[in-house]
Amino acid sequence: MREILSIHVGQCGNQIADRYWRLVLREHGLTENGTPKDGNMSAAANANLEVFFHRVRDGKYIPRAILVDLEPGVIARIEGGDMAQLFDESCIIRKIPGAANNWARGYNVEGERIIDQIMNVIDAAVEKTKSLQGFLMTHSIGGGSGSGLGSLILERLRQAYPKKRIFTFSVVPSPLISDSAVEPYNAILTLQRILDNADAAVLLDNEALFRIAKSKLHRSPNYMDLNHIIALIMSSVTASLRFPGKLNTDLSEYVTNLVPFPGNHFLTASFAPMRAPGQEGQVRINFPDVARETFAQDNFTAAIDWTNGVYLSACALFRGDVKAKEVEENMAAIRKSLNFASYVPTGVKLGVAETAPEGFASSGLALVNHTGIAAVFERLITNFDIMFDNHAYTHWYENNGVSRDMMAHARNTIVNLAQSYRDAS
Amino acid sequence: METALERQIASASRSVEEARRLAYHDPVRVGALVEQISVLADLRQKEGDFRKAESLYREALFRAQELRKQDPDLLTGIYSLLAHLYDRWGRMDKAAEFYELALSISANNGLEESDKVATIKNNLAMIFKQLRKFDRAEGYYCEALETFQRIDGEQSSRVASVYNNLGVLYYSSMDVDRAQAMHERALAIRQNLSDGQMDPADLSQTFINLGAVYKAAGDFQKAEACVDRAKRIRAAMNGYHPNPRRSAALLIDKSL
Repeated sequence: MREILSIHVGQCGNQIADRYWRLVLREHGLTENGTPKDGNMSAAANANLEVFFHRVRDGKYIPRAILVDLEPGVIARIEGGDMAQLFDESCIIRKIPGAANNWARGYNVEGERIIDQIMNVIDAAVEKTKSLQGFLMTHSIGGGSGSGLGSLILERLRQAYPKKRIFTFSVVPSPLISDSAVEPYNAILTLQRILDNADAAVLLDNEALFRIAKSKLHRSPNYMDLNHIIALIMSSVTASLRFPGKLNTDLSEYVTNLVPFPGNHFLTASFAPMRAPGQEGQVRINFPDVARETFAQDNFTAAIDWTNGVYLSACALFRGDVKAKEVEENMAAIRKSLNFASYVPTGVKLGVAETAPEGFASSGLALVNHTGIAAVFERLITNFDIMFDNHAYTHWYENNGVSRDMMAHARNTIVNLAQSYRDAS
Repeated sequence: METALERQIASASRSVEEARRLAYHDPVRVGALVEQISVLADLRQKEGDFRKAESLYREALFRAQELRKQDPDLLTGIYSLLAHLYDRWGRMDKAAEFYELALSISANNGLEESDKVATIKNNLAMIFKQLRKFDRAEGYYCEALETFQRIDGEQSSRVASVYNNLGVLYYSSMDVDRAQAMHERALAIRQNLSDGQMDPADLSQTFINLGAVYKAAGDFQKAEACVDRAKRIRAAMNGYHPNPRRSAALLIDKSL
């Protein structure tokens, strides 16, 4: 068994956990308590279930998940809701008084006091696995806990488990839906740690998510809507790890297929058909439309510069009521329209899984590495520079052990990352 | 096949996990969690996994600091355990820093006269000796000696250990006369200890130390006699050590 441990950090990371585990439970025929639904034997029959869950004595399945936050609010809501009995309480870590939207507090001040507890809990969870393949982390890179503490966890994970794969689902801030002025600082400092310590990161750009949600839901979206989109993407990315299939069956395969150069491991994703929670089954669409929407540029979760970039790699997973022949035919046409770099094969790795996400007859997921992702980094750098050049807010970081030199170093690292993507075009 | 230590670690890990669950619901249980974590850390240290032991002790420390009513005795103990870990790890500066933190907490809470604090002072003195800060080492040995004399009286194995350590310190700083005086006092006590307190390994060590001192003073006959006595005691022990935890507690300096 190649188990995967999920680590949810900060307010955003745990809100995603709330949506994500709900979807996963339903897909596996489990109740919100982790017990198989009445008469449902499919859960027990699925050998891959133990990749994300471990089974305890009374037949209950407990997520291999660790919930961490420096503010108790979101975790308290999970505990007070219908999933109150789902998570192992020894794997829930919540502290006060929070990181105050400051990466430096999450990384240095509060992080210093809590990181050992987190790593000890992670070590204990790892000891329950037979052959761990790696870690998934969900977090926001704009706040204080998910960014600062998330960065510290990434560093320590890499030190403690150098051979294990680390995947992050990282929510990137946007001025369109913003919590605080210092988000660009937090984001740049965190991206540097993701670059150094993760094997792959799926960027979930709030700007793109906001646009997708607004166009598909026909209203001004809120965080719940954005988290719902993220959960759908995560459930599809992990579907090939949770159900038998032929796409990417482990995290190493994802990395091998999607990362052509070291460090160029920042991915973007698209899910189709995008619908609001509860409206999934209302419109049944045909496969060609699902495939087109899956690769539609305005459906990807990062604000990619499509005109000045090329595809480095791509994979697609179609789930539910789809036929392999139909997939081949439709993807052959779509493949021709994708602008791949001249030096990489123009193949899209394809996979088909029988189990569709809950509420969908069929669905599509695209996970791609595109050089136009440089635009996301450049947007953050521009916003970073405006404040940094005027010394705005940097004292909060200096007061908590992060010097302007460190911030400038992180900024330059991400400038180089953006340039490496531009050069790869 | 699982060794006894691995079984102990697995069992201690389960106890920590259960203690975490209980502490999660009831903050009063954090004290019990801290104790369980310390047990696991001690086992990890024995296993040689210093990084994990450090991480566990640090968790115990921060959890103990979270308690609404802090327990200075508990905090002193955890700082001391961390210092002991750093000492074994070869990180002497960190060891000294944490022993000093332990002493600072005990001083602020009126715990200075306890034997636990005297042991910390003795251990800290050993660190300073290794760091070649002889004056500070001597100061802490003397304070530890006073406390042990007050608690145990002169005829005690702990008092003899500190005399031994002072002897080693003076010998290291080339003060052979004072080294000889200290080792002779240690010998006088150790030869007259009751069976329960008598530790042949310590006695043999004292003869070895005295032998080295006599040799340095040019008295080769006495030196040879001491080494012979030490050899006979060792041979009679036949590899058996009545109290293996003693050396682990770092009370005796055998570095001569």
